[in-house]
Amino acid sequence: MMDNPAQPAARSGGGGLGKLLKEAMFVAVAGVAFAFLANQISPRGLKLTRNYSGTPPAQPSGESVEDRLKAQRLHLIKRPEVEQLFHDPRREQNAILFIDARDEEDYQKGHIPGACEFFPYYPEKYLPTALPLCEIAEQIVVYCAGGDCEDSQAAAIYLRDTVGIPGDKLLVYGGGMTEWETNSLAVEIGARGSGDIHEGGK
Amino acid sequence: MKRPLPPAVLTAIDTACVLGRWLLGGLFIQMGLEKALHPADFLKLLEQYQMVHSSLALNAITIALPWFEVFCGLLLLAGVAVRGTALLLAGLLAVFTAVVLRRALGLQAERAIAFCAVKFDCGCGGGPEFICAKLRENVGMFVLAAGLLAGRGRAFCALYAWRARRAPRTPDAQA
Repeated sequence: MMDNPAQPAARSGGGGLGKLLKEAMFVAVAGVAFAFLANQISPRGLKLTRNYSGTPPAQPSGESVEDRLKAQRLHLIKRPEVEQLFHDPRREQNAILFIDARDEEDYQKGHIPGACEFFPYYPEKYLPTALPLCEIAEQIVVYCAGGDCEDSQAAAIYLRDTVGIPGDKLLVYGGGMTEWETNSLAVEIGARGSGDIHEGGK
Repeated sequence: MKRPLPPAVLTAIDTACVLGRWLLGGLFIQMGLEKALHPADFLKLLEQYQMVHSSLALNAITIALPWFEVFCGLLLLAGVAVRGTALLLAGLLAVFTAVVLRRALGLQAERAIAFCAVKFDCGCGGGPEFICAKLRENVGMFVLAAGLLAGRGRAFCALYAWRARRAPRTPDAQA
């Protein structure tokens, strides 16, 4: 299975620059076509025209979460208020809803009990479940991993701007799952309502 | 006059280049799949570079780059359009290295630490890595691509084998 393999193309006369560039051009075009086709077929493929971050990518460094959310007209909520809402009996009647904006893998590993999954990169996958709950809810707490994570912001912006959920219902829990777990609060493993709740963290 | 290398040495060089071609192909497939299977994570990492400000361009890079790497890796493994692919990969590696280096220098200044102590996820597909190790890895891959570009490592190439089978046999060969 070899074409005089010991002889480099440049020396065999078959390696002209024009031929090389033509070959590279062919690979580039075929590669890009392959890439977009594969993305189209992949269940994890992204949409070319959607703005996933909801904000321009460039964020001034050192900007606080509060400032970042304020710029997007979103309300930041701190852990004591989140805990209060979590223990509020209205949560059982779906008047208070928690939205987990992390990916499926993280959600399955553990989320705030009763939280509905809504990873903003694949909204069409999660909206059929999340939308009816968002419409009923009077207050919606959106969270992701916490810290630098901006998925809760992206999810809140999507729900407000694309789905039409009133912005005053949406609260972004900046501390996120990391802070929740650090404080040994209850975590539900697996699907929503799985009943696999671990009091005092995982 | 320059003496030609003995055949045994040439064979050893070419064997090493074929293995290098497969290694480079395998690496690009692995790194490409890592990104292609987690496109949202890759998009977030790309955003950190703050080089592309249009969401359309950012999405296009996020969508195209990982699968493009997989495609090039497959071509190298199969031995199709090896030199053209090597040229593209060498170009990509040069750009990646420059971009990663720029970000590492920014992080070094921000954290006020030694250059080689800078560790971050460059979005290359291997998770967080120390910058010096990443640069060494990129240089290694660039050398492999350059070797292929020079026309080495052409044994076990599907395209050449197919062409050789289709080519009419010479009377000498038939005899």
